[in-house]
Amino acid sequence: MDGVRNTVRFILDGKTVTIDFEKEMISPTITVLNYIRSLPKHKGVKEGCAEGDCGACTVVLAEADSNGKMTYRAVNSCLIFLPMIDGKHLITIENLAQKESGEVKLHAVQQAMVDLNGSQCGFCTPGIVMSIFALQKSHVNPSREIAEDALTGNLCRCTGYQPILNAALKSSNGEPDHFTKDEKNISEELSKLNSEPTDILIKTKDQTYIQPKSLKSALKYVSQNPDAIIINGSTDVALKQTKKFELIPKVIDLSAVQELKFFNEDEDQIEIGAGLPLESVKIKLNGKFCAFADALKVFASKQIRELATLGGNIGTASPIGDTIPLLFAYDAKLKIVNQNGERLIRIEDFIKGYRQTDLKAGELIYTVMIPKHQNVKFYKVSKRKDLDISTVSAGFRIGLNNEKVKDICLAFGGMAAMPKRAKKTEAFLLGKAWNENNVEAAMKILKEEFQPLSDARSGKEFRKLAAKNLLLKFYEETKDELSPAR
Amino acid sequence: MRRQKMNFLPHDSAHKHVTGQSVYVNDMQASSEMLEGHVVYSKQAHAKIVSINISEALKVNGVDTILLAKDIPGLNQMGPVVHDEICLADKEVTFIGQAIALIAAKTKKAAREAEKKLKIDYELLDAILDLDTAIEKENRLAPPRKIECGDLEKGFSESDKILEGSLKTGGQEHWYLETQSCLAVPGEDREMMAYSSTQHPSETQAIVAEVLGIQKNEVEVEVRRMGGAFGGKETQANHVAAWSSLLANATGKPVKICLNRDEDQIMTGKRHRTLNYYKVGFDRNGKIHALDVDLNLDAGSSNDLTMAITERAMFHIDNAYYIPNLKVVGNTWKTNLPSNTAFRGFGGPQGMAVIENIIDRIARHLGKDPLEIRKLNFYNEEKENITHYGQKVENNRLQALYKQLTKTSDYSERRSQINQFNQFNRFTKRGIALTPVKFGISFTTSFLNQAGALVNIYKDGTVQVNHGGTEMGQGLYLKILQVAASELGIDPKFIKVTSTNTSKVPNTSATAASSGSDLNGMAVQNAIDKLKSRLSEVAAKVAFNGGSKPENIRFEKDIVFDANNPENNIRFPDLINLAYLNQTSLSATGYYKTPDIHYDKDKGRGKPFHYFAFGMAVTEVEVDTLTGYAKVLRTDILHDVGKSINERIDIGQIEGGFVQGMGWVTTEDLKYDANGNLLNHSPDTYKIPTIQDIPKDFRVEILKNAPNPATIKQSKAVGEPPFMLALSVWLAIKDAISAVGDHQSEPEFSLPATNEVILEAVEKIREGMERG
Repeated sequence: MDGVRNTVRFILDGKTVTIDFEKEMISPTITVLNYIRSLPKHKGVKEGCAEGDCGACTVVLAEADSNGKMTYRAVNSCLIFLPMIDGKHLITIENLAQKESGEVKLHAVQQAMVDLNGSQCGFCTPGIVMSIFALQKSHVNPSREIAEDALTGNLCRCTGYQPILNAALKSSNGEPDHFTKDEKNISEELSKLNSEPTDILIKTKDQTYIQPKSLKSALKYVSQNPDAIIINGSTDVALKQTKKFELIPKVIDLSAVQELKFFNEDEDQIEIGAGLPLESVKIKLNGKFCAFADALKVFASKQIRELATLGGNIGTASPIGDTIPLLFAYDAKLKIVNQNGERLIRIEDFIKGYRQTDLKAGELIYTVMIPKHQNVKFYKVSKRKDLDISTVSAGFRIGLNNEKVKDICLAFGGMAAMPKRAKKTEAFLLGKAWNENNVEAAMKILKEEFQPLSDARSGKEFRKLAAKNLLLKFYEETKDELSPAR
Repeated sequence: MRRQKMNFLPHDSAHKHVTGQSVYVNDMQASSEMLEGHVVYSKQAHAKIVSINISEALKVNGVDTILLAKDIPGLNQMGPVVHDEICLADKEVTFIGQAIALIAAKTKKAAREAEKKLKIDYELLDAILDLDTAIEKENRLAPPRKIECGDLEKGFSESDKILEGSLKTGGQEHWYLETQSCLAVPGEDREMMAYSSTQHPSETQAIVAEVLGIQKNEVEVEVRRMGGAFGGKETQANHVAAWSSLLANATGKPVKICLNRDEDQIMTGKRHRTLNYYKVGFDRNGKIHALDVDLNLDAGSSNDLTMAITERAMFHIDNAYYIPNLKVVGNTWKTNLPSNTAFRGFGGPQGMAVIENIIDRIARHLGKDPLEIRKLNFYNEEKENITHYGQKVENNRLQALYKQLTKTSDYSERRSQINQFNQFNRFTKRGIALTPVKFGISFTTSFLNQAGALVNIYKDGTVQVNHGGTEMGQGLYLKILQVAASELGIDPKFIKVTSTNTSKVPNTSATAASSGSDLNGMAVQNAIDKLKSRLSEVAAKVAFNGGSKPENIRFEKDIVFDANNPENNIRFPDLINLAYLNQTSLSATGYYKTPDIHYDKDKGRGKPFHYFAFGMAVTEVEVDTLTGYAKVLRTDILHDVGKSINERIDIGQIEGGFVQGMGWVTTEDLKYDANGNLLNHSPDTYKIPTIQDIPKDFRVEILKNAPNPATIKQSKAVGEPPFMLALSVWLAIKDAISAVGDHQSEPEFSLPATNEVILEAVEKIREGMERG
């Protein structure tokens, strides 16, 4: 438990692979994609964009839970660093088909893709097969909506998706495959790898990579290494390397800290560990907390949500991060920890500026506490509904007293250098009747309250127009629920 | 084993696609000596190059060679039609993304390190970055082209109403999943082998030879498959091939260049943006009497294929409608952007968008359903069937498609349901539109309509088929395989369609203009005809001892037999062996040229197309008028592919083309900053459709019993035409916007109809209503 190791171990092609980065002169931040493609017989995984937006690089990570039951998650291999698969089973496109008496026997997913004409040029196909493979490992006879969600992160430019969707629905029939047969072996092998969690500390000529396995050691490393970049899913930080070709000198990777991956619910609030992947949050919410569930429905792709965390989305403090305006509306609090203790801070006070937060050296975001407010809504305006970054996003909350507004929060993303509340508009509405006249007057104020930018996503006028319209949409969607007359 | 029905065979590479075993250029490893090639491109839209200093860059560990324009042994040019595109800029750069230097290094990392140390000093010049400015400054690419018919003045004077307007259509990034790639391997003497992801191996061969200053017979280009192309690799694959060959030549080692996504999007051309002005005259029923259109295409910095694309836009300004008096002028303008290039539809989509929007305006002006105006103006079968360039519209399927589709899509019932829905919903509006496609098939540069093939039969009776077409996912190899199998009468498993290679079939045309199967299928058939006639001689004279006549010999089900005397039969492989022993050539070339097509550019008259492909779509959308989000609820497509060679492949082309077209008309938006930098250079901000965006109810059918005379197996080209069916999505969105003002005012509309365009159009209508 006390020791550290400088190697990473995982299962690939039925064997445990051990990587000694120093000795083998491999960068510890090599992406899983580049690692796999460097192997002789693993050219099936493709790079389409190197930013998690196309899914051609999709691979599946399998892990065993405490009962030995395997879970299979499709992830973008272009976004994750090799140490992040420590103690996991890496499954690539080459592992699906099997040789049976000299003949290649396709996996059911592959057979369905062939039978239903799911491939044309074939370049996106390996990633698509892996996404469907993960889908059919977790769902039997999924709805169209679930199948679409599993494939949102896979772009195909040839087929128009219809045959791919058909193949996903056809092959997700719950039939066991050779992975099912092998589960016991793999899970035993994995539990050996994970039996004594040891922190990973890799030092190469120009990089340091630290992967603590507990919160305690994470806090120790964070306090000792104030210059390190902290990652969990790495879906944002990886782009520094894959897009800007920057060297990331020092990383503390929290993805193995189990204490950060919890979900608690009581009468008044839910508390979410900062390191719980958003896909797990989505499953735990199970449709409750409508606004939050709405936000996660259009949050990136499933592959990204399997990696990205709430802590990461808050910690990067992007002006267009989807969850922050929503957490403003819920008036969420963050529990921040360091080696000496913890403190609470309102999300609004935590976000300080463009990608700036109140997080001090040695601190980590531990949990996010979200009060169970009613009448909270989330809106996202983006060029494409899914797998797109917000042009404008909004988290709104309202409370009425005698049909008058007694409590309101109108928080926006994409309208300023940081997520921001429309304070003037809120002040105007406070104490006034929640009716169309007042809302229309408020829209005029709202339109002038922000000075957004024009950029690759839209012009500034559009942002202003969308922002004011969202208030009207909020009114339209809440007037009936709030009105005592109905 | 039961034979799988041939016209339902899956893609010939499907089993390799799904197992990750299909090989693309980036998966190839020529040798351990192979170097990575990297392109240093201009960061300025228009500038003089004052100086380039590579000395520090050369010192970077792992860097082998850096090449500049002066190091090119042959011609510094790579323009495909007009020699106006330099390979490496030396004195001046004319767009951001233009190549200046080439680096070969052991790793990409080393090459990028070297790029940072390579110093280029620019002296900035004025840049033209949009069509308006190019037009204002009269920066023409070439003199305008014109096609005219009837008497325009007379047409307008006989019209009851006249409408004028303009329409902008946006560019489109190809977004093939596999970026531009080439592996160049130097051979003996001056030889160069290029494994290129190209739609046009013969032209790639020519350009490589030119930049290296060697003969074409010293260059071999091979392409097994592309990871998508869509026109983007018709000419611009040549660039990467030329650059990697230059580096391979200079280093003596294999060099691979695979652009990364951002480089690809920044450096390569797109679908042409257009700005179009029109004036239309029509009677009170909506029948068009006169149309005057000025098309303006943004060529980017050089010719590329702009003139042919402009011509096709002009040919399709009528789409499916008979317009007796018509004038269309095609203007082409130079801007400081990467040269725009071929993209599925090749100008057709832009021309059709103009006329379809005009029809829509006429209908709104007259307070009628656009469907009625379309029907009224369709080309007729017996009369009113001559296009503005003088070609007769034969085998017209428009009426048949219209009749069947309006019925199966339940158009009129849904129109009234939509009207009701819109009455009861204030902020959510629905719209519906039917749009037709009539698309001319053939390269409009007539001599390009030729193809070659080489068919080899080996002694064991197996067959190798080579042809000039390239496989980019469209299923050409499979269609060729089916043609060969049915002509030879043997099981497809005995036939192999090999990689396309310039040493096997020379002087080919690009696999483009939807012509791949039409041209190459015929050439393969021609080669097989030659072989069959030789084999029939051997069968009749040797195998059947003179007991049969060669003209009675048939090839079916792996057996060769006498149709009049089936007792005389021999297994195909046995006949092959016999033929070999009797000294018969078992290899034949095939050739095909499209008959009876011609076009006079100066007169704007002729028969440029072998035939027309037709299609029709009905789309219903729902628009959130507060956010501008448009959702496609249902699309019904009925498309004419003649007699389908492979229905699954054809349906795949229809669905895929339609969804790609949806992207063009909705979310695919290209924005540039004031210096000419493309802002949407990765999928982060450039949004092609995802699985969530396709019609929630998507019904695609092939028109039955409509064989096409005089084409391979009576089939029709299907690559491009379905793309333009997506105009139904665009106009359904317009219909929904128009419902905001109860169809009383014409929405301000352009293409793509992004949420931005939608919301602004809605806002204008609302403001107009408030003003009363």
